[in-house]
Amino acid sequence: MFLNIIKTEWLKLKNYLAFWLLLLATAISYPGINAIVYYGYDESTKPKNQSGQLIIMLVGNPFHFPEVYHTTAFLSSFFTFIPAIVVIMLITNEYMFKTHRQNIIDGWQKKTFVWGKFISVVLVSLIVTLFYIAVATVLGYIATPDVAKVEVFAKAKYMPLFFLQIFTQLSFAFLLGLLFRKAFVAYGIFIFYGLIFENVAVAFLKIKTKQFGGVDYGQFLPLEISDRLIPIPAFIGRFNEADYKIALANMDKHIAYSLVFVLLTWILSFFIFKKRDL
Amino acid sequence: MSVLQIHNLSKSYGKIKALDNVSFDVPKGSVFGLLGPNGSGKTTLLSIILDILGSDTGSYSWFGEASTYVHRKRIGSLLETPNFYHYLSAVQNLRVTHSISQRGDEAAIDEVLKTVNLYERRNSRFSTYSLGMKQRLAIAGALLGKPSVLLLDEPTNGLDPVGIAEIRDLIKGLATAGHTIIMASHLLDEVEKICDHVAILKYGKLIASGPVQSVLADEDCYLVNAKDKLKLVAIMQNFPGVGRIHETAEGIECYFKQTDLDPETINQYCFGHQLVLNQLVQKKKRLEEKFFELTGQP
Repeated sequence: MFLNIIKTEWLKLKNYLAFWLLLLATAISYPGINAIVYYGYDESTKPKNQSGQLIIMLVGNPFHFPEVYHTTAFLSSFFTFIPAIVVIMLITNEYMFKTHRQNIIDGWQKKTFVWGKFISVVLVSLIVTLFYIAVATVLGYIATPDVAKVEVFAKAKYMPLFFLQIFTQLSFAFLLGLLFRKAFVAYGIFIFYGLIFENVAVAFLKIKTKQFGGVDYGQFLPLEISDRLIPIPAFIGRFNEADYKIALANMDKHIAYSLVFVLLTWILSFFIFKKRDL
Repeated sequence: MSVLQIHNLSKSYGKIKALDNVSFDVPKGSVFGLLGPNGSGKTTLLSIILDILGSDTGSYSWFGEASTYVHRKRIGSLLETPNFYHYLSAVQNLRVTHSISQRGDEAAIDEVLKTVNLYERRNSRFSTYSLGMKQRLAIAGALLGKPSVLLLDEPTNGLDPVGIAEIRDLIKGLATAGHTIIMASHLLDEVEKICDHVAILKYGKLIASGPVQSVLADEDCYLVNAKDKLKLVAIMQNFPGVGRIHETAEGIECYFKQTDLDPETINQYCFGHQLVLNQLVQKKKRLEEKFFELTGQP
């Protein structure tokens, strides 16, 4: 069954120019943001004088192996909104062309249709993760003076963490697309929620932690739950060591929270599509 | 044997009852017409039996079994509008249809595109097609792999007269080859020419169903004429079993509840009343008249 689903989804996407252009935009944005930060860092630390050495002492070597996998994952995660367009488009296009109905009429079960989208979101997340790994690895080789002397993959755990983060957030984007059916509505809500509402809510709930029995409920919000899989990089963490250590200590908890969130998102997606008239 | 059995299907949208306890069977090998004015529930009914909509009550079965997705793979369907990926060509869209339904193969895709006269434009994107071409592609999708059952909702929508004639011939040919065809249409002439069975819906209620001849044949109509029309009307009003009598430009139309009335009986009756008929024609009532009569339309 799954081979047939993959084949069918591939037939839908392989000649879809907008899909490939958006993936290309993602492929460009990842090296883009990381290169900008890297060159900023590189320029600041180049002078062999005291100021250059001071910056190195202060922020360390964020683009050296193995820390580069952490730094790049954190910086790349700001660009989730580009693959989110792809994912929202995957489902809202079906509603726009009414092909979600035709797929069922032609013989798919409703659950097969949602499995198709699940697989597509997994594949988009994998492709995006590969972009991140490629960018991190190339930057690591450029920035690290003596690669042979470092443990290149000591922080390779950020690869699966990045995948889990992107998959969790893209699953949320998919759910919005499924709920609202129109691309501009779903994407507008995703952007407004992700860039404005949730940030305000997280800050507010953090301030109110004491009033809520010492629990920071902001950590359970849809995007924040997986944002905390990749804490701020070490060079920023140095400015607030205590918070940084807490963030690192909470990573494992957020793996569990994210997995539960993903599970609930897809259970809800299957349920909505099954119960809704097409 | 019935290909499709519908049992007490009902569906409401809020206070509006789109389908009200509808039941009928579609015999195997029949060309079954589903008739009804706009909003009568035709598309709702077709959507339910294709699992696009859920019914409030009732059930249906395909091929004598409880309906599953496996049955839908064996049915070539065109429901309401042609639904295809706008950025894909005809061939690419039909590959998706094939991949899902498992009907046909690469050669069959070419074959159906030739059948509906789209082969020359097979590599053009769907978004560049005219309404008629989109409809042809939807018919091609339904025909892919020669399914044993075809379900066509307004199949000649958007087609030009030549296209309508071609699709009509195509449907007749498929029916002759033993395919079961379920066709919803508002073109009564089309249904009358193609279908051998019919179901008529009005406001979600089934008001008639069965073989076309039996749905039509609950009344006989004779057109009679004589020099003295006044006397003819007066005599015919006393004919046993006569119903309505209409005077038209052609003559006097007499409707009889008795459906096996022999024209000779009418002739003898009039002659017995010293009136010689100069015209006696049995008029076959057309589906259109019957439809308007049943649905209360003008």
